[in-house]
Amino acid sequence: MSLPPSLRTSVTPTELELIATQQLIEIIPLIAMEKTAFISGAYGPLRPPHRAKIPIWMAVNLKLKKKCHILPPYWLNVEFLQARLNEETSEAGFSRLPFRFAEVAKVLLDVAPDDIQDTEKIRSILKDLREARQAKSREGLANLDRGEFSLPNFCSLEINEVRPFFVRSMAILQQLYREPSDAV
Amino acid sequence: MSTWSAQFDAGTFAVDNSSSTSRSRVRRNVATLNDSDDERPTTRTLDSERDVVMAPPPFELEAEETPLQKLMRHWINERHAPDILPAQEELLASLLDHIRRQSDAVQLLRGEPSTSEEDHIRIMLVQTEVERVKFIVRSYVRTRLFKIEKFARFIMTNPEIQTRITTAERAHASRHANLTDRHFHFSVLQSLPETQSHLDDEPIFMPPMVTQPDDSVPVFVHALRECGPIHFPDGTSLNKMTPGYISLMPFASAKNLLKRGDVELV
Repeated sequence: MSLPPSLRTSVTPTELELIATQQLIEIIPLIAMEKTAFISGAYGPLRPPHRAKIPIWMAVNLKLKKKCHILPPYWLNVEFLQARLNEETSEAGFSRLPFRFAEVAKVLLDVAPDDIQDTEKIRSILKDLREARQAKSREGLANLDRGEFSLPNFCSLEINEVRPFFVRSMAILQQLYREPSDAV
Repeated sequence: MSTWSAQFDAGTFAVDNSSSTSRSRVRRNVATLNDSDDERPTTRTLDSERDVVMAPPPFELEAEETPLQKLMRHWINERHAPDILPAQEELLASLLDHIRRQSDAVQLLRGEPSTSEEDHIRIMLVQTEVERVKFIVRSYVRTRLFKIEKFARFIMTNPEIQTRITTAERAHASRHANLTDRHFHFSVLQSLPETQSHLDDEPIFMPPMVTQPDDSVPVFVHALRECGPIHFPDGTSLNKMTPGYISLMPFASAKNLLKRGDVELV
């Protein structure tokens, strides 16, 4: 089997996490390291206590060895997320969040809760956001037809979640239309 | 003396001062790990990225794609597309080459007894990245392989799709098609009446026996650049898509945009 059946219809959340952790994040290193060439680019030099920008996977790796502090991105705090949640519950469309916010938030909250303030509050806002957005995407399903269905500000993990159902629904709508014209 | 290469040179000298050839090999590998001037201008990308962050956009747009980002995009496109996309032979070859160079460098450095803790972490990070890239490369190749096996018979009869695959992939498709044909023939078909012993019938009201890529499968499209107009099978059309636009549409409508790199599948 070249591709396991579970991977054929969609990518997995773990794979999305792999993609998301390629993004850069700021850290305060606790070890020194010369500038090093990686496949994705050159990172460093790390000189405590100066900030440096490295991919998230690298930051996670160092964090687990207690070799750095992670500086959370501009959107991972109570004020920003609360503002989005208010928007989410008061307005019709999806609020503007970074495309891969769910994956990044999960990784950072799991690995570096001590570097983020009010993690409990952030977790609960993220959960509320998720529920509010999920409800909207379900309502949006009513507008689905066989042509095109636009989803402004929909996020990577949310797309993956609704993919099987949305794709199948649209395929069925297409079939319902195609068959009578073929029979003529 | 605290720099990586200086330490390293000193270390190599102490252990292996007899063989100058291996030493120069080590030095060359250190040079690959240590950043040199011909690397990509990372500072510029960092600055432009910070500007983007200052004015929070809905999506983080990279100024310029690195080869790895390109491969990740092609990998995900391939995973979602119902059809086989054009092969990225050059990109794949250059990344495989890069993986090999990084692994060689790590292999040489690991043999060094005098590496400091800092160097160990560095080696470990480089190795971790190599494994991540290998995973992506493997998944990309396997996805293509899966589609090639699925459409093997169709590939052998369709010259257009053959332009999108590599020679090795075509050879595999041909072998796979022959093997399954022979297997079906010897196990079942030879004992069936002549009219029922074909593998390429196209019965009415039924899908043809040769599996073909289905372009009408809907895919999630994420616009990377402004592009358009796009026409949809129901007669409607979209004048233009702005960067960051996300939409569910039949693969047939997104095909040309995908070929130009204007959109990615998500």
